[in-house]
Amino acid sequence: MKEKNNHKHAKRYGMVIDLDKCTGCGSCMVGCYSENNIPFKTDETNKLDSINWIRVFKITNNKPYPDTEICYLPMPCMQCDGVGKHGHSPCVSVCPAVATDYDLDTGIVSQIYTRCFGCRYCMAACPYHARKFNWWDPVWPADMEKYLSPNVSPRMRGVVEKCSFCFHRYQLARNKAYLEKREELAEDEYQTACAEACPTGAITFGDLNNKSHAVHQLIKSPKAFRLLERLKTNPKVYYLTSKNWVRRAGDNYLAHEEPGKIKNNIKEHH
Amino acid sequence: MSSTDQNQTVSTEAAPDSVNHEPETHAAPSSKSSGWVVFMFFMIGVVGSLLSGWILFPELLYSKKTQPIDFNHAVHLDNVSDGCESCHYFRDDGSFAGMPDLNSCIDCHEEAQTDDPEEIKFVDEYVTPGIEVPWLNHSKQPDCVFFSHSAHVIGADMSCESCHGDIGTSEHTRVYEENRLTGYSRDIWGHSISRLGKPKAGDPLPMKMNDCAKCHKEETGHKGACFQCHK
Amino acid sequence: MKIDRRSFLTYGTALVLGGAAGSMLSPAPWKLTDDVAIWTQNWPWTPVPEDGEVTYKPSVCTLCPGGCGINVRLVNGRPVKIKGLKDHPVNKGSLCPMGISGLQYLYGPSRVTSPLKREGKRGEGKWKKVSWEEALAAVTGKLAELRANGRPQSLACITGSDQGTIPNLIGRFLTAYGSPNYIRAATAQDAIEQAIYLTQGKQGTPVPDIENANFIISFGSGILDGWGLPGRMFNLYGNQKTPKKIIQVEPRLSDTAAKANQWIGINPGTETALALGLAHVIIKESLYNKDFVENCAFGFDEWTDENGKTHDGFATMAKGYTPKKVSQITGITPAKIKSLARAFARASKPIAINGRGHGAIPGSIDESLAIQSLNALVGNINKTGGISAIPDSNYAKWPEVNIDEIASKGMQQPRIDGAGSEQFPNTRFLLNRLPEIINSAQGESPIQALLVTDANPMYTIPDTTATKKAFDRIPLIVSFSPYMDETASYADYILPNHSYLERLQDVPVAVGISRQVISLAQPVIQPAYDTKHVGDTFIHMAKSLGGFISKAFPWDNYEGFLKEALSDQWRKLKKKGMIEIDHTLPEPMAYTFNTVSTKFEFYPTARNSAKQKEDSALPAYTPVPIEGDTQRFQLVLIPYDSIRLVGGYMANAPFMTKTVDDTVLKKQIGLLEINPTTARGLGLKEGNLALLKTPKGEATVKVHLYEGIMPGIIALPRGLGHTAYSKYLADKGCNTNTLIGSIEDPASGLDMAWGIRAKLTRI
Repeated sequence: MKEKNNHKHAKRYGMVIDLDKCTGCGSCMVGCYSENNIPFKTDETNKLDSINWIRVFKITNNKPYPDTEICYLPMPCMQCDGVGKHGHSPCVSVCPAVATDYDLDTGIVSQIYTRCFGCRYCMAACPYHARKFNWWDPVWPADMEKYLSPNVSPRMRGVVEKCSFCFHRYQLARNKAYLEKREELAEDEYQTACAEACPTGAITFGDLNNKSHAVHQLIKSPKAFRLLERLKTNPKVYYLTSKNWVRRAGDNYLAHEEPGKIKNNIKEHH
Repeated sequence: MSSTDQNQTVSTEAAPDSVNHEPETHAAPSSKSSGWVVFMFFMIGVVGSLLSGWILFPELLYSKKTQPIDFNHAVHLDNVSDGCESCHYFRDDGSFAGMPDLNSCIDCHEEAQTDDPEEIKFVDEYVTPGIEVPWLNHSKQPDCVFFSHSAHVIGADMSCESCHGDIGTSEHTRVYEENRLTGYSRDIWGHSISRLGKPKAGDPLPMKMNDCAKCHKEETGHKGACFQCHK
Repeated sequence: MKIDRRSFLTYGTALVLGGAAGSMLSPAPWKLTDDVAIWTQNWPWTPVPEDGEVTYKPSVCTLCPGGCGINVRLVNGRPVKIKGLKDHPVNKGSLCPMGISGLQYLYGPSRVTSPLKREGKRGEGKWKKVSWEEALAAVTGKLAELRANGRPQSLACITGSDQGTIPNLIGRFLTAYGSPNYIRAATAQDAIEQAIYLTQGKQGTPVPDIENANFIISFGSGILDGWGLPGRMFNLYGNQKTPKKIIQVEPRLSDTAAKANQWIGINPGTETALALGLAHVIIKESLYNKDFVENCAFGFDEWTDENGKTHDGFATMAKGYTPKKVSQITGITPAKIKSLARAFARASKPIAINGRGHGAIPGSIDESLAIQSLNALVGNINKTGGISAIPDSNYAKWPEVNIDEIASKGMQQPRIDGAGSEQFPNTRFLLNRLPEIINSAQGESPIQALLVTDANPMYTIPDTTATKKAFDRIPLIVSFSPYMDETASYADYILPNHSYLERLQDVPVAVGISRQVISLAQPVIQPAYDTKHVGDTFIHMAKSLGGFISKAFPWDNYEGFLKEALSDQWRKLKKKGMIEIDHTLPEPMAYTFNTVSTKFEFYPTARNSAKQKEDSALPAYTPVPIEGDTQRFQLVLIPYDSIRLVGGYMANAPFMTKTVDDTVLKKQIGLLEINPTTARGLGLKEGNLALLKTPKGEATVKVHLYEGIMPGIIALPRGLGHTAYSKYLADKGCNTNTLIGSIEDPASGLDMAWGIRAKLTRI
């Protein structure tokens, strides 16, 4: 097989979520559910056992009426690069079954359900609660199985699952690129379901390494930040906000610390 | 039976050699002959399980099925212009259509073209009532596998034969050996139950994950990340 | 050699050991291990979705009146995903969570899969599957009987809309049958429509041009919570060609308020006072659009009628609404009122909109009048970035209907709901009055048969208890719902319609300034169950009833009717999926109004007849007398809307309920929002169970402390508390309509309730 596996040209797919634009409508969640064959139960109010690959959190500035502000924070898997860009993400490092793995071609952290034996070590390791466990076998009642997508394998009881950055869409886009004898994918050829579903365009997705992709510029914005940056998980999901209180909520800052002015000794990928 | 009874039985019925032995000592038969007997039994076990493992087990593991229609690849290949891709084509989105559906067949086979009983059966039982043929797919992979034909056939310029063997020249369908446990074809594991040695020329290649990884390692220098082939 | 027990054991062991050793050298154990591992990955109950060719079918979403274009992804003809249609003029690819959940409205446990006949008591849930022939024969039999008795007017039909050809077809059926009682639920649109009629003399759908406005004062309208055309609103918010300033005025920090440039907390129900207060400042500081007010408006200043009587002008009236006075009413500081008025008047394209939350409750005519007057003050009527009214769907035409004598007599009877009567001459539908009218009727119910389609009155009409009581008196209830909703579950017959992805339908939507988009919802899949297009069902019933009714429906089916109604537009619509109609009037016409004065009437003279006893027809702030005494009920309960909850006649798909936060719903119990200071006063803490009592009903709730709600106010979301559908929705939270009643606006009959008094006690 003559396909290049040249990591010099490797992609680093990432996401930028503009919190100023996010209205908390939940379309990203539903877009994800319907794209990724995510099951539902009669009661989904226990959020610890509710399977969501992206969940929109609601945060507030805790000020009394009428100075209260709220901000919605959509959280998919952060697709951590870890220190040194070797895919040393917290979950990959702990998985005893190699069921979760870092794809050096795309920077996407995979999860293979048939490989996972459900020890949930990765869930403990993930600082973002991005991983969810299948405590039950999924049930699609009354013909609802008929709407399942063949592109994402339905999961079974006893395995962990998480956001894949809709990797199957990358696979399908690559299929087309091969047919047309192209090496590169256009920016709009591979988009995640949540980015596509966001009705206000708050989610931008693309290759962080590619100068022509919007995300490449967006992450340089002074409004950009990542969650728990000081854990050195080096996430590829960035957020934009113009509100300082939102930014402060993104990590555990001491009273005298100012977000964005703390030395971050993670070397950026080149 | 009490232990005393047992001891008595041993002392009265044992061979003269063992008379000298204290009745309490229950050592194994120690004579050369009984050693040989033990070994003989051991070997019977070995041989028996080898025979059943190598010969009987595969017979039991696989059920034998025949395709619904005895399809003649050779005849079709002679009559089409575009080789395998005439029927097993790529869709515009780069996905691979796989087994042709009735729509693809209907162009030529709306009515039987020959008096071949298989063709007549095909037309009568499937084309006319509009029922898809339940072909048995020798290369069927589990749901968690994403296999890109375009990556291999177009991207890496591989021929169909390099994995599927010379199926295109076959005049009859093969017996479909279905693994009773997994439901997949014997082809996936490979015809050799031991997976030792190379498949015969013209035979389809085995298609277990290790086989993928081995080839990827040889051809690309890396066996690939999980997401390359999983979904 | 003798085989004694010992040697038997010895040799046996040797045999087994040999066997084990041999098998290690055979493929069996290794192959079996592998096969068993694969076997465990192939549990038959884990579905393996069928793969195949991917195609897309564009259509339009009809789950709400928003009219968003959708693109359905199909695998081997099987729909697997719904996305927004990128080049659709309404939503440009944006879609709300309900639209994306669409496939859960195609399949699922709440679908009615065949005609059903009630077996047990009403609402008991015992049904008998019947054939279409049997069900239709039974229903038409009863309808024929009513007509034979000379009471066709005792048939009523409740629908969700009066736009498009399906409602028109049903209306035609009622006319031919002889009943004037075609009723749909009134919304804020109806109040605004009436205010526009009173001030401009135009009948039509009001459309605010949010796209081009750059300064929006929203009096509680949840622009980003599902108000108006939700998909379009989200798209406009996300892609602002001209940056917009949004000022959200409401007592609760909604999602719209959170995204607005400014959130102004206001005492609930006092929006009219604020609008008039803003007018006061704008007039006093001479910031109004003089060109419009002087040339195109009437009744701004004092005027004298033909009888020589002098009437107050709008400006005279507004003098009374000083910032100080308005501040006392609304709770907003005078400084804020002044600065808001100035910013609004100075903006190049300002617009004021109303309709709380999703706009389900109409609100008072005074409120809509005050807000339309505010728009007129800045002169943004019928122009880019302003408000216009689009005439009712006139793109479809069909032959006049000839009716027989029975029908003619029936049609001369007054409407059961009082809409269009002398009391409420300008109101078209008053569903909210129906329960009370039926309940207070002497003898048998004035409604003997009720047909319900695209509506769920048992859930949506405020005061559910009264509604249920009224429906108990109706001898025949027929539901056409594709879902087992509250009304369907209370019906005698269910003649299920196709789900929205299985049916043909035209969808007219008014967008932007004077623009109308007509889309065609085309079936993306063959009907999955034994259902029938509601249009076909009505045509079938008409044909069975025979005579003039049958003659009024010469078409074989709904498609035939639609084709004829659209005539030459049909092919275009079929091919392109949608057509756009521009209703823009040339300049002078746009500012010539159909009122008596031919001007925009700040003083709505047409309102006089309705307000005979009062001195002035001018909008005024009179507190809406919400139910409950302040002694017993110290708190005020308001309902709120969210985009993740469907509050109307449709209901949440399981996916939507899954997105609902655990601060809104926890297990079966809904959470009530309360300000921490108020909660402290009542001795309530986060998560406490409490009994919520209102004059209309009571519910068990959990307390959720929320800083973003005005102290003294408590809020519950609309869209929960269903009793029907399936276990994925039923018995979760409480239906605000069981707690809040309707308050009739004396000027219009429309519901103007914005809340109710309430009491909260810890359990």
